[in-house]
Amino acid sequence: MEKCIGVISVNNSVDNKFGSLCRHRPPYMLPIGGRYRLIDFAISNLVNHGVRNIAIYTGDKIRSTMDHLGDGKPWDLNRRFSGLFLFPPVYDERYKLPYSDIAQYHSTEIFFEQVKEKYVFIANPLIIAKLNISQAFKYFLESGADITMVYNKRYDPFGEFINVENMHIDKEGRLIDIGMNLGTQKSFNHYLEMLFMKKDLFLEIIRETIESGEAHYFKEALLARKDRYKINTYEFKGHVDYIRDIKTYYEANFNLLKKDVSMELFFEGGTIYTKTKDEPSTLYKETANVQNSLIANGCVIEGNVDSSIIFRGVKIGKNAIVKNSILMQKSVVEDGAIIVNSILDKQAKVRKGASIAGSPLMPYVVEKYAEVTKD
Amino acid sequence: MNENKVVAMLLAGGQGSRLKTLTKNIAKPAVPFGGKYRIIDFALSNAANSGISDIGILTQYKPYLLNTHIGIGSSWDYDRNTGGLRVLPPFTSEDGGRWYTGTANAVYENIDYLDEVDPDYVLILSGDHIYKMDYNELLNFHLEKKADVSIAVIEVPWEEASRFGIVNIDEDNRIVEFDEKPEVPKNNMASMGIYMFTWGKLREYLILDAQDERSKHDFGMNVLPRMLADNNAMYAWNFKGYWKDVGTVRSYWEANMDLLDDENPLNIYDRNWRIFTRNRNLPPHYVARESLIINSLVNEGCYIRGEIKNSILFSDITVEEGAKVNKSVIHPGVTIKAGAQVNNAVITERVVIGPGEKIGSEDDGKIYLVTEDGIMVE
Repeated sequence: MEKCIGVISVNNSVDNKFGSLCRHRPPYMLPIGGRYRLIDFAISNLVNHGVRNIAIYTGDKIRSTMDHLGDGKPWDLNRRFSGLFLFPPVYDERYKLPYSDIAQYHSTEIFFEQVKEKYVFIANPLIIAKLNISQAFKYFLESGADITMVYNKRYDPFGEFINVENMHIDKEGRLIDIGMNLGTQKSFNHYLEMLFMKKDLFLEIIRETIESGEAHYFKEALLARKDRYKINTYEFKGHVDYIRDIKTYYEANFNLLKKDVSMELFFEGGTIYTKTKDEPSTLYKETANVQNSLIANGCVIEGNVDSSIIFRGVKIGKNAIVKNSILMQKSVVEDGAIIVNSILDKQAKVRKGASIAGSPLMPYVVEKYAEVTKD
Repeated sequence: MNENKVVAMLLAGGQGSRLKTLTKNIAKPAVPFGGKYRIIDFALSNAANSGISDIGILTQYKPYLLNTHIGIGSSWDYDRNTGGLRVLPPFTSEDGGRWYTGTANAVYENIDYLDEVDPDYVLILSGDHIYKMDYNELLNFHLEKKADVSIAVIEVPWEEASRFGIVNIDEDNRIVEFDEKPEVPKNNMASMGIYMFTWGKLREYLILDAQDERSKHDFGMNVLPRMLADNNAMYAWNFKGYWKDVGTVRSYWEANMDLLDDENPLNIYDRNWRIFTRNRNLPPHYVARESLIINSLVNEGCYIRGEIKNSILFSDITVEEGAKVNKSVIHPGVTIKAGAQVNNAVITERVVIGPGEKIGSEDDGKIYLVTEDGIMVE
């Protein structure tokens, strides 16, 4: 995999679907699974498959990104050579659409020219899929394709995946086109926004589109050239979460309570790395009652917790009830408080005896640092 | 601590033979403690939190795991350009190879390291004690008393005083006598094995001690009594707080259990004095339906289906359905199979307790140490 560089590229268009959760952070920095950020899955998977050069196009609101990723140490990316490269957005008015991905790629052209890797792997950090990158890369090389795009066959009778990218493939596995899934078919091929391509080709497409002004987004430019290049596809058969709004974010967390999902994501093909916090173990007091939950370190639990995700350093008081909820880092649930179908952002507090409840389709969100009091 | 440069020398070479098979493969400082740590983390974190920027770790007995754990000290921010952490094992020279023969000898053999760092003060620490201490307080006391050496002492219960090295002092805290494990103790101030030396003085006495053929080259037995005999300024600094020398399997088990006590003064949750350790980056632990965890500490990576009471669980432990764990310390990677019962036990790394197996007893007052070699009762 030392032949391939990893590019994690952020699509800003989903920002506004997360309400206050993304007021101060980009969606890929959403906390997930008790101690991770969404982007940890993408970075760790690349690292676990031997990718040593990773470029991240951060998008804006990057304070939390900088704090979390730093020099890439948790992923062993703090190397003398290669390692982690963060590219915050650069506004250059000469570009037609300065914040488009093509403009951002073009402004970092020299980086791609200088790295010795001949191939690029591009991924969207909002799609969690523990792709065996080594195997997929091998397929890409052996198939002799210019581009290999990764998809997942999705059986979706209830239309939970409306409006996601629908990939059409011919009998030989070649790309026909990518459209939008409107749910007219019970199953479709979900394009996972991961692809391998030759670096020269990548740069060629960027230069051409900058010159011609025909496209602003890389996918658009790529599809316009689908007949010129040999584009094939690779099927990913594992678990997929596509986090695109509060509901899918909420569900992706609870998927981790399923043993097969947590085994696949946390253990198979390498663990997920994240910034560590040096929290002690979690203390369960005499009155604790925890069922079907994922509990991170540094918590003190005296109350009842059911089917929930509890992040690091959370405190849950006596007789408190926490159900189907996500409690982010250092949030506090005081004695007797009731929290159902809710998300507490970092350091939020629910005071003594207060209760909050949302619905599984629309969880109640308590903002970062906010407090909920009784009446 | 800039104008008064302190180097810490951490003695981590001990076997801890009274811990029996707990230290069969590892040095005592590397024994897991408190659900997440190894014993040495406490001294290392104290040093880091006290702002000591140079620290030498003296290793000798089975150092592999200890070396892996410490690495270049990055968990304690000791991976620095200037200063930082040095692991100092015994070495060979023109005169042949020598093992460290005693605590003072271990430091003496590394005089070159100390000369190189050129400190004002040298702090001698022991890697096998559980406590939180700001070494600046000891240094300030040392400066205030214009002492040649200051020894940290702690009040122990009178009935236990004869197990310790007792320090007798005058009204100004100046040391007048050392009383090693006295049958009839004159007071209950025990030496904690933590010494702040003025470097020049220490250097002088290390060389004197090395030349003494009858010496066992031990700080407590030889160097300090000799300094006292020569009428050096030696003072006792009274430490107040939690301190435990986990000498035996039972005291090891008790010190772990102390963490479950609400009144326990060793607050590991204090964010201003964190205890750092090497991090394995494991996922959060999962607690299944029909399980029960009360009055216990549980670390990352565990998968719990059974019943856990009054216990300390380290990382990466599986407890299957119907298994019951009570008053036990379970080290990383242990599997407790369905229906097994574990009471008053210490189970060491990666041991598997079979289905329905019964370890220990709820009420015989004994501690059961379970290793891959079998069970020892204390």
